[in-house]
Amino acid sequence: MVSFWEILSPSFLLFPALLGSVILAFVCPLVGAHLMLRRRVFLGLTLPQIAACGVAGTFWLQHALGFTHGSGGERLLATAGSLVFTLAGMGLLAYLDRRATGSPEGRLAAAYALASALTILFIVFNPAGELEILNLLKGEVISLSKEELKLLAIVYGVVYVGLVLFRREFLLNSFDRDLSFLLTGGSAQWSFWLYVLCGFSIAIGVIMAGPLLVFGFMVLPPLAARTLARGMSSFLSLSSLIGIFIAVLGFYLSVRLDLPLGPTDVAFGCVVIFAVYAVQSILRRGGGVAGLIVFILTLCAGCGARRSEAPLDLSTLGKGPVWLSSVRNGTGSDLRLPATNPLRSLGEMAGKLPPESRPTVMDLLRGSLQRELQHRQIAVSLPEERDVRLQSFPFDAVSAAANARTANLSGWLWLWEIRRWHTDGRSPLRTVVEMQLVRIDNGGVSWQRQIIKTVPLSGAARLDETSADAIRDILREVFGA
Amino acid sequence: MSNGLPLVTLRAATLGYDGAAVLQAVDLDIRAGELIAMAGPNGSGKTTIFRTILGFLPVISGLLVRNCTLSEFGYVPQSSALDSTFPITAREVVAMGGFGRLKPYLGLPGREKQRLHDVLDQVGLAHLAGRSFFSLSGGQRQRMLIARALMVGPKILILDEPLSGVDPESQKAISELLLMLNREEGKAIFFSSHDLRMVRSVTDKILRVDGGRVVWEEGSVAQHPW
Repeated sequence: MVSFWEILSPSFLLFPALLGSVILAFVCPLVGAHLMLRRRVFLGLTLPQIAACGVAGTFWLQHALGFTHGSGGERLLATAGSLVFTLAGMGLLAYLDRRATGSPEGRLAAAYALASALTILFIVFNPAGELEILNLLKGEVISLSKEELKLLAIVYGVVYVGLVLFRREFLLNSFDRDLSFLLTGGSAQWSFWLYVLCGFSIAIGVIMAGPLLVFGFMVLPPLAARTLARGMSSFLSLSSLIGIFIAVLGFYLSVRLDLPLGPTDVAFGCVVIFAVYAVQSILRRGGGVAGLIVFILTLCAGCGARRSEAPLDLSTLGKGPVWLSSVRNGTGSDLRLPATNPLRSLGEMAGKLPPESRPTVMDLLRGSLQRELQHRQIAVSLPEERDVRLQSFPFDAVSAAANARTANLSGWLWLWEIRRWHTDGRSPLRTVVEMQLVRIDNGGVSWQRQIIKTVPLSGAARLDETSADAIRDILREVFGA
Repeated sequence: MSNGLPLVTLRAATLGYDGAAVLQAVDLDIRAGELIAMAGPNGSGKTTIFRTILGFLPVISGLLVRNCTLSEFGYVPQSSALDSTFPITAREVVAMGGFGRLKPYLGLPGREKQRLHDVLDQVGLAHLAGRSFFSLSGGQRQRMLIARALMVGPKILILDEPLSGVDPESQKAISELLLMLNREEGKAIFFSSHDLRMVRSVTDKILRVDGGRVVWEEGSVAQHPW
């Protein structure tokens, strides 16, 4: 199990993703704060959706024009589409704000609905790269490459520097456009530059992290900061600090609980807002400093905490035997490994061999543990070899032990279930495996572990190689070495 | 001072929005050191005159001459026109008046900090500078906005209903402040109000705006119930 401090280490596998999240969380709140001050917070929702529409639209255009999909420049193409659509959408909305009558919120809502609908239609019309486009739209910040991280840092660096250098002009323009006109000679130019910075940060952010995370970081930290800040300087600084806080703790929760990063960050951001309101309400009632300290300490206490993660103590097994039940598959997919033998592949293609005859991750895992236990002089048996009815056991210890006793098994029963074993081909393989060692005579659990592993794809060309890497890591956790 | 060129001149001007006239045949001179009030009911076109003088609206027809730059106007809007959800301190609001002189990327230089302190002293609210602007009373906010206008270093102060929505004590404080700025510092002041009685207690040079026309004060208060 990963501790809070481990994820902060540059050697941590997902550290680039954490860095990307922190960059987004540092700059997006500043952009969002300005939109919020201008009462244009829905622009922060609509523009990411327009950017997403740009990604889908560009791929549809590529498909419609007959260019080959998957030539490797998808990210570049997606970035270009996102940028063009965002800037064009922003320009159109600004034009309508000046020329059209009616409510600006209504226009933003209509633009959001249109962009959402077009995004789906573009994907429907382009079946060639549906999955890939969906991945880009989801924005897997977790799979950021070093080059993408560099691009994100450069663009967001420029946006940040722009917002800091011209902070006075943007502030004045947002607060009192009349005075901005009198003192700086034109309020429209500052609005224009602010929206250009917004457009770039949103267009790039959506490609790197998806519309949900970008909108979340733009809106949630400033909302929390506004209740705490009295002045503009503290409002902007607090927005960024709260953004980083949400990014780091959200990332930790995502890794620890094996949840998708974007929704975890956004949900955690909402919790932070409620917490800030609650703390402020306590402070208003007086004597709240103690409450605030307790709140911060409570929040931090869980970060360094580690669940009991004792490795298996082989001495408890005595002479054994250990009955290795077949591994339960709770993932919903068959986890079948690709064929390594070209003759087998040919056989499958010819219909001579069913694909079901290929080994699965479950087979690989059980076989590896069996060898490992035997290597450590522990007697290991497979229940189905004693009684063919024992092909599988329930994961509940008492029921499983009862089943084992009916077949006259004695000693120990090893129960396990794969809860997650997934990669989309770009992101690292993420695995969650539950294990328990049960005494057959009384159904008592003498050892149990949940092992969560994230294994990089780099270096492994295929799923079976990555799975073998993951299994090696899992066994290392089981035996503590 | 008042014998020189007028700071602002309007001659036979038609003023309004998007080509639709609100006021016609407007003649007005504002000279240095003058204190002019503009009185009229709500919706009569007082703000239209201000917005035209400040360059926010074009003149539909007629003549508008300014003998000072736009950055030499100190404009005090109604505080209710500002977004009250803004998390901003009174000091930050007043400091905005100096932004026109500052290079974008520099911090607030020492002389600007001193000037900020001086104008806050001048309006008598230095002790409230660190407070949230929108937590101040209506009268205090109005004085802070006057301080912001003074921060500009203006030749002429234009105030949109500075006495409305504030308690009598604040009205008195603001009136005294305007008189002091006019008499002791020679600032030209042009302000509006819908309360003619209050206007008369401050100045005797009154421009009445009503029915699409402007006329200089004639007659008694009783004839003009607004």
